[in-house]
Amino acid sequence: MINNRVARLAVNEEGFVFDPQTGESFTVNETGKAILKALIESKEKEAIAMTLTEQFEVSLSEAQTDVRDFIDHMRSYQLL
Amino acid sequence: MDEIIVGVTGINASDNPAPGIGVARSLKEDKGLKVKIAGLAYDAMEPGIYMDWFIDKSFLIPYPTASYEALMERLLYIKQNFGLDVVVPTLDTELPFFIKYRSELEGYGIRTFLPSEEQFRLRSKERLAAIAEQSGLQAPKQAVVTSYNELTKAVQDIGLPVMVKGALYKAYRASTLEESMAYFGKIVAQLGYPVIIQQAVTGEEMNVIGVGDGAGNVPGRVAVKKMSVTESGKIWTGVTILHPALLEATQRFVAMTRWRGAFEVECIVDQETVYLIEINPRFPAWVYFATGVGVNLPAMLLKQALGEKVDVAGEYQAGKLYIRYTNEQVCDMARFQNIVTRGES
Repeated sequence: MINNRVARLAVNEEGFVFDPQTGESFTVNETGKAILKALIESKEKEAIAMTLTEQFEVSLSEAQTDVRDFIDHMRSYQLL
Repeated sequence: MDEIIVGVTGINASDNPAPGIGVARSLKEDKGLKVKIAGLAYDAMEPGIYMDWFIDKSFLIPYPTASYEALMERLLYIKQNFGLDVVVPTLDTELPFFIKYRSELEGYGIRTFLPSEEQFRLRSKERLAAIAEQSGLQAPKQAVVTSYNELTKAVQDIGLPVMVKGALYKAYRASTLEESMAYFGKIVAQLGYPVIIQQAVTGEEMNVIGVGDGAGNVPGRVAVKKMSVTESGKIWTGVTILHPALLEATQRFVAMTRWRGAFEVECIVDQETVYLIEINPRFPAWVYFATGVGVNLPAMLLKQALGEKVDVAGEYQAGKLYIRYTNEQVCDMARFQNIVTRGES
């Protein structure tokens, strides 16, 4: 599920993301940062959603929706 | 190392800056070099003349297109009266002169490090498609035109919008045939024929600058993405990038042509498709960006002009930011008077 471009992204603690290949940058919120870091570590969707339920006060179904939405966003920017 | 006197052209650090100040600043900052810079200017109002922290002394020179004798005579005057070991021409219109008379200049003790005439021709806009194909890049569709009839046909074949470009300078985006005709007329009036009609491709503007050693190697190169540009398309802010396809294509271009000297490869990148837009046989005005990230290209060029071996630069970091700014300076009118009346500062 992971492609090289995601693996190359640099994410800092404030959620600033830089793509060293294209020079593009964007920011993500805490949830986005957690998902992105998990994607960079090649974690699967289900495992990422489970991690979100541990880190944030959120149900598993909400977390699954968040992960799905985030991945759709990343795909729309052709980062996944 | 003995002191080297380097003549640098293009010291017009205006809102549309020439590369000379970036070259001079880079040479001054190299710890292994001891250089004095002779600024070679065409006009007494070129700001570099007054930037004595980079330019040690300035001289007005005649335009290379005016007369061979006048420019050669002026360079020899500078050689005799101030010293001139190497010249780094930075403007497109100067290159044919310095390439053509390279041996003659060297005979007078004035060295350069420039591409050959054949290499210079190879990267011309008219032959871009072939270079792109051989470097593994895409080339936008284009046609070289010299009349309104040819222009109309080219626009029909390529499809709108198109870029209307001069052979050396100027590029305009035209969305209609009428607009392309207006730009065609403007370019012909300013720069003459031919005019290049190019498919307007979309994507991010990314450039690579570097130095080729003449044997197919690239001792140094840096790739950037333009983040914001001026009205005339000049970079105002940029960021270093490590785009593998772009850097590999640059390496192939240099290996294939055995490029000698400075170059700038201009591309538009649409996801994985890299379009080659232009290859400039010189440094761009933002050359100091490379120096700032640890790849001093002008110093590499100078060392090669002096016949020294140059080590391959280490990899730079992606994500370094470049920001231009404007500045003001106040100085005595006498400095302007000197350059006007004596032709030197």
